[in-house]
Amino acid sequence: MKTILLPSKGAPLVSIRLLFSTGAVHDPVGREGLSALTGGLMVEGGAGGLSFREILDALYPMAAGIGVQVDREVSVIQGTVHRDHLDAYYDLVRRVVLEPRFDAADFERLREDQVNAITAGLRASDDEGLGKETLNAVIHEGGPYGRPVDGTVRGLTAVTRDDVVRFRRERFTRDRAIAAIAGDVPDRFVARVESDLGSLPSGGPDPARVPEARMPEGIELTVVTKPCRAWAISIGHPIAVTRADDDFYPLFLAGSYFGEHRTFNGVLMNKMRSERGLNYGDYAYVENFVQDGTSTFPLPNTPRRAQAFSIWIRPVAPAHAHFAIRQAMRELRRLVEDGLTREAFEETRAFLLSYSRLWAQTPSRRLGYALDGAFYGRRSLIDELADRLPRLDVGQVNAAIRRHLRADSAFVAVVADPEGAPEFVDRFVTDAPSPIVYDTETKPEVLAEDGEVAVFPLRTSRASARILPAESMFEGDGSDGGG
Amino acid sequence: MRSSDSHLRTFPYPIVETVLGNGLRVAVVPTDSPGIAAHYVVVRTGSRNEVEPGLTGFAHFFEHMMFRGTPRFSPEAYNDVLKRLGADGNAFTTDDWTCYHVTASSSALDTVMDLESDRFMNLAYEVEAFQKEARAVLGEYNKNYSIPINALLEKLQDTAYVAHTYKHTTMGFLRDIETMPQQYDYSLRFFTRWYRPDNAALVVVGDVDPEAVFGLARRRWEAWRAGAATLVTPVEPEQDAERVAHVPWSTPTLPLIALAFHAPAFDAEDVRGRALDVLAQAEFAPTGRTYNDLVLDKQWVDWMWAGVEDHRDPTLFLLVARVKETERVGDVRAALQSALSRAGTETLSPDRLSAVTSRLRYAFLGGLQTPDQVAMAVSNALQLTGGTTAIDASYRTLARVSAADVMTTASAVFREGNRTVVTLTP
Repeated sequence: MKTILLPSKGAPLVSIRLLFSTGAVHDPVGREGLSALTGGLMVEGGAGGLSFREILDALYPMAAGIGVQVDREVSVIQGTVHRDHLDAYYDLVRRVVLEPRFDAADFERLREDQVNAITAGLRASDDEGLGKETLNAVIHEGGPYGRPVDGTVRGLTAVTRDDVVRFRRERFTRDRAIAAIAGDVPDRFVARVESDLGSLPSGGPDPARVPEARMPEGIELTVVTKPCRAWAISIGHPIAVTRADDDFYPLFLAGSYFGEHRTFNGVLMNKMRSERGLNYGDYAYVENFVQDGTSTFPLPNTPRRAQAFSIWIRPVAPAHAHFAIRQAMRELRRLVEDGLTREAFEETRAFLLSYSRLWAQTPSRRLGYALDGAFYGRRSLIDELADRLPRLDVGQVNAAIRRHLRADSAFVAVVADPEGAPEFVDRFVTDAPSPIVYDTETKPEVLAEDGEVAVFPLRTSRASARILPAESMFEGDGSDGGG
Repeated sequence: MRSSDSHLRTFPYPIVETVLGNGLRVAVVPTDSPGIAAHYVVVRTGSRNEVEPGLTGFAHFFEHMMFRGTPRFSPEAYNDVLKRLGADGNAFTTDDWTCYHVTASSSALDTVMDLESDRFMNLAYEVEAFQKEARAVLGEYNKNYSIPINALLEKLQDTAYVAHTYKHTTMGFLRDIETMPQQYDYSLRFFTRWYRPDNAALVVVGDVDPEAVFGLARRRWEAWRAGAATLVTPVEPEQDAERVAHVPWSTPTLPLIALAFHAPAFDAEDVRGRALDVLAQAEFAPTGRTYNDLVLDKQWVDWMWAGVEDHRDPTLFLLVARVKETERVGDVRAALQSALSRAGTETLSPDRLSAVTSRLRYAFLGGLQTPDQVAMAVSNALQLTGGTTAIDASYRTLARVSAADVMTTASAVFREGNRTVVTLTP
């Protein structure tokens, strides 16, 4: 095990992240969702002589919680507490990690919650999340990245409490653990954490196979149907780089230029929202991105060994869906063919050098970034950017774009209403023109460009298009792309 | 200018304030946040101000228009400045207020202030930009629409209120959002009515010196001309009978049930508001009796929330639960109503009361880690009351809430005739 310390003299709060190198990649076949359920049950299933309710009672006056975040590759048990309560708080954390009880009633409760998160949450009331998970599913078809961390309905139904006990024993081991602590803590506290984690069972790195990803042939369309008044769209393809690779950093800059998350910096946002009012937002990413709560910043500790380039088009009116996909693909072609100008490069670089410093304003987030650095065998992303961006030039960025981004091939996932989907697919696979009609005033130059967008050729075919009902997604019975 | 008294304080930082000649209140909070400053502009206008028919959602739409440029800074130029600074900037609108926030390097504060003050004084946009932004707002409504809780709350507000503008959500009614592109002229009136220094405040938090910030503020903001309009919101008549509504849902979601009761407006000195906060925590938050019963023991409910959202005008105490099976909605409703009735007849134990007040206080303090979080707390007090003393005052009031206060308030508020019940089922 390793320890990461970020001491801060006099800080009133202490933050702890205990990371284990295990997650949904280790879900056994037929038990998809087991890792997430194990993590959830460690913190909500009672521990060391205390029921979950008693743990909640003990945490309550401290206004602290013991949270868990299970992702594909890592699981993190985390919390922040006032220094006044550190010993009492850590005593509870320690029990959760070393002596989880997995009480049967909590097992049933959390398993049902996790099934509901798929059936009533993702599939029924989170169209944008469903679009993104569908894209994941087609990029990583059949593999552990190709389904939600929550797993599948069938996998969860098969999981037993014994599976959970075994998974925790085999995967939450001292050899997979990293302790990360921030705040004003005495040395003996750090020693105590290290000694506790050292008492976990051993169990060495047992890397799951690197998730496979398939490069699409032309534009491969997956339409998932459910009742909806606007259609959510995700577009993407696998890429060969992660933060471990030198080429990631110029590509990261290109992604920011093309579609920085929830800002007006990106090409897509300006073209699609500002000039045309197509939707609420349009962004692009060169690695898996999860927004942290309601902030605009990325959630740490969601690292992957295989990444994808993706475009997120927020829900558009059904009549504009074909146009919106065309416009995104046309802008992508311009990015790949023309690259960034020197001026755009300089602006984006200046932006990222300052903006990235805002990502780690709390000690807990700083720990998260440090842990991600350890995952990739690098420093934190913020430190890597601070070091590398000043040495980059626009030629390196444009070369990285040409090496890793494909302009003519992509998976496209659309969440659409069942009535409109068949006609949309017919027009899409025949590459029929998609002229746009506005009910608002539009600049002449925008209208002129629209004429080109409407007939921008997409390499589509009927054989590479499919329509799947939302109810079949992540069911786990082989009827969908989600394992 | 004044520095807040250091005794009887919960808020852990000094708040240093001044009022500019045009009436703009400026509050500065130095914190240990090396190199970072948060700049928050508070406009005390929200969907509460939408008293004219057919124009619901306009305060939120107008927030979008504030990004559409001035003669000096086009939208692209505005964004380019923020981009070069690496700033995190955005805005949001609620029932009562609109907030424009930029967080950046503290050395960039004057640039940020120049940029922000310019648009509050010199906003200018064309019809084309106005209409495109109206459709981006429709896109925002559309993205929210697939989420059941939004539909539930929309129906709840529409049912619980008959006269007050809290009847509609901040997004507004869909029929009004659809006609927004036709309201260009009204948008200009909206700006001159409400975007005035005497209806606003400025909050700066982080690695800053208050005197230096005041100097910058005088230079950048003093030219903004006062003259806010006067708002008369319709008075909500007292409810005299239970109201019930239902939202059918077309996909297999989990049922939701909401119970709402009219409750007092925010007043930091009013023990009733804090007593309801205590009750919501004591009964319905994790460790609460009803939470333990419905979530952990019976497992009929997988999520619940209760509380009073602080508002400038009389508001709602809201209790929402997500139920695992449609057949259980009736049982859950009965259990929630019985918990609320019990609150009016049984007293909380001293231990429980003290655990709850400790929890509320530590949770507030634990949520003040970044300049943004601190600026939000100060901005919220300013939007509610026009000043900042309400933060500490409300925690002093919380400290004196007695078990009898909780019981008296509960029996006054949780009457059947004051109740609105809305359900959503697949």
